[in-house]
Amino acid sequence: MTYYDLRLLLDGFLTTLILALLGGLAGCVIGFAAALLRNTDSRAMAPVRAALFVYCLVFRRVPFLVTLMLIFFASQSMQANLSTFAVAAISLALIAAAYLCEIIRGGLASVHANQWQAARALNFGYWQTLRYVIVPQAWRVILPPTFGFLVMFIKDTALASQIGVMDLTSAGKVLENKGMSAPLVYGTILMLYFLMSYPLSRLGKRVESRHAVTRHR
Amino acid sequence: MTLQFGPILEQWPYLLGGAWLSLQIAVLAFACGMLIGMVCASILHQGPRLLRRPVAAYITFATNTPQLVQIFFLFFGLPTMGIILSPFAAVLLGATFNAGAYLSEILRAGFASVRRTELEAAQVLGFSRAQSLRYVVIPHVIKTMLPPLSNQFIVMTLGTSMASIFGVEELTGRTENLAAQTYLSVEAFGVAAVMYVALTLLATGVLALCARSGNRTR
Repeated sequence: MTYYDLRLLLDGFLTTLILALLGGLAGCVIGFAAALLRNTDSRAMAPVRAALFVYCLVFRRVPFLVTLMLIFFASQSMQANLSTFAVAAISLALIAAAYLCEIIRGGLASVHANQWQAARALNFGYWQTLRYVIVPQAWRVILPPTFGFLVMFIKDTALASQIGVMDLTSAGKVLENKGMSAPLVYGTILMLYFLMSYPLSRLGKRVESRHAVTRHR
Repeated sequence: MTLQFGPILEQWPYLLGGAWLSLQIAVLAFACGMLIGMVCASILHQGPRLLRRPVAAYITFATNTPQLVQIFFLFFGLPTMGIILSPFAAVLLGATFNAGAYLSEILRAGFASVRRTELEAAQVLGFSRAQSLRYVVIPHVIKTMLPPLSNQFIVMTLGTSMASIFGVEELTGRTENLAAQTYLSVEAFGVAAVMYVALTLLATGVLALCARSGNRTR
């Protein structure tokens, strides 16, 4: 174990972390926007709603590896000179957006329609209703599955190693190819992933128990 | 950029064979994972206290580390300890290890959703233990657990695409072969994506039908 091996591991760790953060944040923003668009009910928005429905359906039912390959090869054949990191970040953002859109849409739908009407009666604008009435109530429904998704999401970034992103998994492969014992290397990699995702899943459990929705059984 | 789907669609039976293998891996791993899940969930629910900690540790570890790296460990790590697995066995073992943990969480939640009063009511009505299991517990548990179970099955079906990394020729693996032969990568993966959507929609439909027939005894 030399200094450079440690650097490689550290760089891989940071790459995975940044990839997950970028994808997750972009996914939250796009997913929220998509959920709002799918929540509209005017006739004019019907094609947008249909398109977003298909988007959410498809990206949640295609394996991440296939999405990654598809975007990788598509960007190549369109001569867009994207780095493998950019390809991985874009596909992660697209997938996260699809999953989070469903989660957020479910959360928004869990707030009774009366709340919208009451807010309108009180002369709240659309954004005000969202900010002061709907989101505070939808929040507790949205948060637990979001944490669950993000924990799975961090682990999914491991597949980015397959198109050549130097993430934690790739770093492990390099170290193994250098002749280090495979069980040791992959054991270390597993522990490093655990280090990343365990705090998040603990936080998720805490949030879930604090915001526990009263369930009528 | 022009897309040519013809040469890929000609190879459609080849891809379908791959999809069949994907489904087999998913079903096998789901069945084995279900067994592990049953045992682990029963232990967590009301098993001996001594065993609860290791089971909880297994679930925490398996759900917080990537399945890909777990399979890497099995496939590349175990041979140095003298255990040599075929790619198929390594993938199946990894998928089962992962599925077992998720399924035990789902089953545990399902068991916890049965209230004691429900069982007492069944007892008062003169149901035997087996009868109350058959007519009270199982219909109830199936109803609450089916959505997460079917979701888990979909996730596992998508997870089988990892097998291609280890050289198993399932849908993704065969798509890669086809892409390499024809140089039509975008088209090949596009067709594979559509097939995955169809496969998972089919699985959702079949599971929903199962649920409906299971719920008829209410």
